[in-house]
Amino acid sequence: MNAATGRADMRTGWSPYAFVAPFVLVFLVFTAYPTLQSIALSVQQTYGPQASRYVGLQNFVGLAHDPLFWKALTNTAVFAAGSIFIQLPCSLGLALLLNKPQVRGRAFFRLVFFSPSLVGMIFVAVIFSLIFEKRTGLLNVLLHRAFGFDPEFPWLEDYVMPALIIAALWMYVGFNMVYFLAALQNVSPDLVDASRVDGAGVWHRFRHVTIPAIRPVGTFIVLLSLVGSFQLFELPYLLLGEGGGPNNRGLTLVMYLYQTGFETGDLGYASAIGWVIAMLLGAAAIMQRAVARGGER
Amino acid sequence: MRDARGVNRPEAHSDRMGISAGVWVILGLALVSSGWILAHPRGAPSGMQLWTYARTHTLNYAPIVADWNRRQADPDRRIELSLIGPGPLRHRLMSGFMSRTPTADLIEIERSMAGEFFAGPVEAVGFLDLTDRIRAAGIDEAINAPSFSPWTSRGRIFGLPHDVHPVLLGYRADIVEDAGIDVSRIETWADFARVLGPLIRDLDGDGRPDRYLLNYWYTNKDTTEVLLLQAGGGYFDEAGHVIVDSPVNARVLATLVTWVCGPGRIALDAPEFTASGNQLRLQGNVVCSLMPDWLCGVWRNDLPGLAGKIKIMPLPAWEPGGRRVSVWGGTMLGIARDSPHIETAWEFAQELYLSADMAESLYRTAGIVSPVRRLWSLPCYDEPQPYFCRQAPGRTYLAHAPYVPRRTSSPFNEMAKEHLQEALIELRGYALDHGVNTEAELLPEAQRLLARAAQNVRRTVARNVFHREDQP
Amino acid sequence: MSRVRRGLLIYLPLLLCSAVILLPLVYMLCASIKTNEEFFTSPFLPRGSGFLGIAWDHLTSVHYRRLFYDYAFGNNIINSCFLASATSILATLLTAMGGYALARFTFRGRSLLMGLVLGTLVLPNVLLLAPSYQLLYRLGLLDHYGGVILPLAAPAFGVYLFRQAFIAGLPRELLEAGRIDGCGEMRLFFSVALPMVRPMVGAFLLITYVGTWNNFIWPQIVLQTPEKMPLSVAIAQLRGVYFQDYGMMMAGTAVSVAPVLVLFLLLQREFIAGLTAGAVKS
Repeated sequence: MNAATGRADMRTGWSPYAFVAPFVLVFLVFTAYPTLQSIALSVQQTYGPQASRYVGLQNFVGLAHDPLFWKALTNTAVFAAGSIFIQLPCSLGLALLLNKPQVRGRAFFRLVFFSPSLVGMIFVAVIFSLIFEKRTGLLNVLLHRAFGFDPEFPWLEDYVMPALIIAALWMYVGFNMVYFLAALQNVSPDLVDASRVDGAGVWHRFRHVTIPAIRPVGTFIVLLSLVGSFQLFELPYLLLGEGGGPNNRGLTLVMYLYQTGFETGDLGYASAIGWVIAMLLGAAAIMQRAVARGGER
Repeated sequence: MRDARGVNRPEAHSDRMGISAGVWVILGLALVSSGWILAHPRGAPSGMQLWTYARTHTLNYAPIVADWNRRQADPDRRIELSLIGPGPLRHRLMSGFMSRTPTADLIEIERSMAGEFFAGPVEAVGFLDLTDRIRAAGIDEAINAPSFSPWTSRGRIFGLPHDVHPVLLGYRADIVEDAGIDVSRIETWADFARVLGPLIRDLDGDGRPDRYLLNYWYTNKDTTEVLLLQAGGGYFDEAGHVIVDSPVNARVLATLVTWVCGPGRIALDAPEFTASGNQLRLQGNVVCSLMPDWLCGVWRNDLPGLAGKIKIMPLPAWEPGGRRVSVWGGTMLGIARDSPHIETAWEFAQELYLSADMAESLYRTAGIVSPVRRLWSLPCYDEPQPYFCRQAPGRTYLAHAPYVPRRTSSPFNEMAKEHLQEALIELRGYALDHGVNTEAELLPEAQRLLARAAQNVRRTVARNVFHREDQP
Repeated sequence: MSRVRRGLLIYLPLLLCSAVILLPLVYMLCASIKTNEEFFTSPFLPRGSGFLGIAWDHLTSVHYRRLFYDYAFGNNIINSCFLASATSILATLLTAMGGYALARFTFRGRSLLMGLVLGTLVLPNVLLLAPSYQLLYRLGLLDHYGGVILPLAAPAFGVYLFRQAFIAGLPRELLEAGRIDGCGEMRLFFSVALPMVRPMVGAFLLITYVGTWNNFIWPQIVLQTPEKMPLSVAIAQLRGVYFQDYGMMMAGTAVSVAPVLVLFLLLQREFIAGLTAGAVKS
């Protein structure tokens, strides 16, 4: 095998480079270089892409003392927690329901549940901006008619985070479900049958057969949700107007990055925020690997 | 059972599909759309561009622009008027000034976005410095002085003011007069709460009051600012020093909290430009509104049901003998520094902004009074209007125009506004948590919260190197 | 437990969830075909004496007509089509070729490149917003279609996915046989290698297409001229000016969302295959 590859290489010496060159060119210019440049920018203050001054670590020190940044970080973390602890259980529940062998029309349900994730987040935001409206919005109208809920319930003022979590739940519950559904294929039917014969209850079976089988994919989905949540932008940007809503209750990290970088023109501060997000997600990825490995042992 | 699982594995089916239909669809779309785009190149427009963010402005300018264009033989001197939403306008202009993407020759901007354009060094401001032209043409004398303040940065004027936008008080004359209340007894905000207090009522009989005296809510940053400016407070003084923690601000904040919660509550949230807010106004759930001149026009269009029920009076003052007018919003017309048509643009800008026809149509359609003093004698301002119970609102607004508060053009205005707002929200939370309801009891906490806000503002200002370089 | 009860226990929640999921989309469609005056009278279609108690004659297409005649939405549709198809075709081509080389050749710098690709894979996209903007400024690509397309044309995860797909789905022997037959390297790639990973090509193309169609922040930052803007940016701007014009906003959203949903309905298998492929195998 090795010899064969070696021969092929000699004969086709130029061709791997030809295949890889277009990608490498675009990748180096538009991904690798900006990555390095973002490090350089994070120690500068700029006014647009032209005027810039070296400021050392001032951006990071500033972030540590910046109440808006901390607020954005807290909001983002709350949203991420909402995604993981509300959205993912819902997705898993739906997947378990749909995975029952006797369910008919599985393809139809999967289609319906999955479709919202194809609607771009900016369009979802436009739709939900009407749904969350105080007196006239669909949500308040329905809740009022069904349960006598306060028709003035101020979703986009005092309950910004729940509103964002609900919109994201609508959008992604089916998306995550598809992953869980795929993961459930790893559950060995023999093991399920065996545990059933042993007389194990539904919960016991779920805990000791299903969970270990979907653990690797499960942790991956958690990571995916975290990555998505930490980059939340369009939803609050459109729903709350261009600020972060009353008292910045809906300000997220990427919104803050966008505001500083592209509204006030400080690309340096924006890069510093970008690196904080990168570090946090990097830490999460390392933890995911550890947890996923822990399951294998 | 295993069959059912197999259905769930789409990979198994698609492994040996023919060339994918999706690929063909996308290739087709690519061909069609590229063909279209090649056939219709998005070239640069010819002539001059004028951008504005307000629909009422486009409606009023259209005839003047059309008239101008008719008189121009040279197509390069013709003007194209475009309406762009405030967000996108700010975005495009920022990008144009900082990164040299295409912008218009003439641009109208709103007060709240102006500061950002003055953030860099003076020579880097994207608007043309109009100071010398304005002085040479005597426009600085001809226009109401406070109107220049939001467009002046470091002593240089970057735009022609469009308006004065005085804020007075609009009240439901029908409700007030039915109750036999004489509004001339109101001089201060304390009088206001006392004299009109009996109007607070439970209209729908659910046991809770649902008619309140004033349309104000602590979440509305704009109206908070209107009241702060009236009281003589604000964010920065004329030298650019932070005054967020001034005693005036603390007093106003403490009073505002008593307006929105506790037994002294007089305010209701009836936001402008919303269906729900308009509903509350029509139903009489709110008696008075902070009323800038432009809101008169908005109401006449959006709330015809209130015709003949509204009157205008001066704002109650913060203390006896105090200022009875404030200011809300504002527009300037600026010229892009990089415009190839600067002289023509300046010629047109003067024609548009100093024109008596424009002033009159702006007043008739939008209720906006002119900042040009020589036009204050226009007869239209004295015409009684049925909507306002045959009052002549224009004359009332103009009488207060010279006394509107001055504002600063600091690039940090919006940031400071945000911090002040946060202090107000926390102060309300404090009032609710501790059950304190009087201004005096709230004052120490207000001072404390504002001191913190001021510290945050100072820290952000200090972090800006460009700003530091500019200070002497 | 009886069969009926068990069935109910499964189908009831499934149907309920389906209804909740479909509700906002139905709401959007309804709002787009009724007049703004009737928007408040009923959450969905206006009530009346017609069939099903709905006033069918009150429905209107005025919002759609205004969208195209007054707001030139057709232009934005073309832009979205162009940006999405150009980006997805370019990205698929570049990453498939790159992935092929990484999977089936050994060459100098291969492990370095692989390291770079894996390294950038873990970095969030938003990190590159500011430096890419500065780069586009220096290259003079701001407010050009190219400025939107190029930075999205070489996604690291694409190369990674194609490398995996080629390793799993393309036997070396097949290439060797082709070479012995005297097949040129380029022909070998397009007529032997690529067809072996056809499902991956379809799925990746679609996913990049939808991803670019729905992308907002990048075209919002790069493009400034309204004539060049895709639907995502146009709808956000529309909302800034016509935020009270519910019907028109919903009509615009329906127009923006429909193509992607139709594409998905037609090609859903490829979508889901592509999405889950990466996750389940790694």
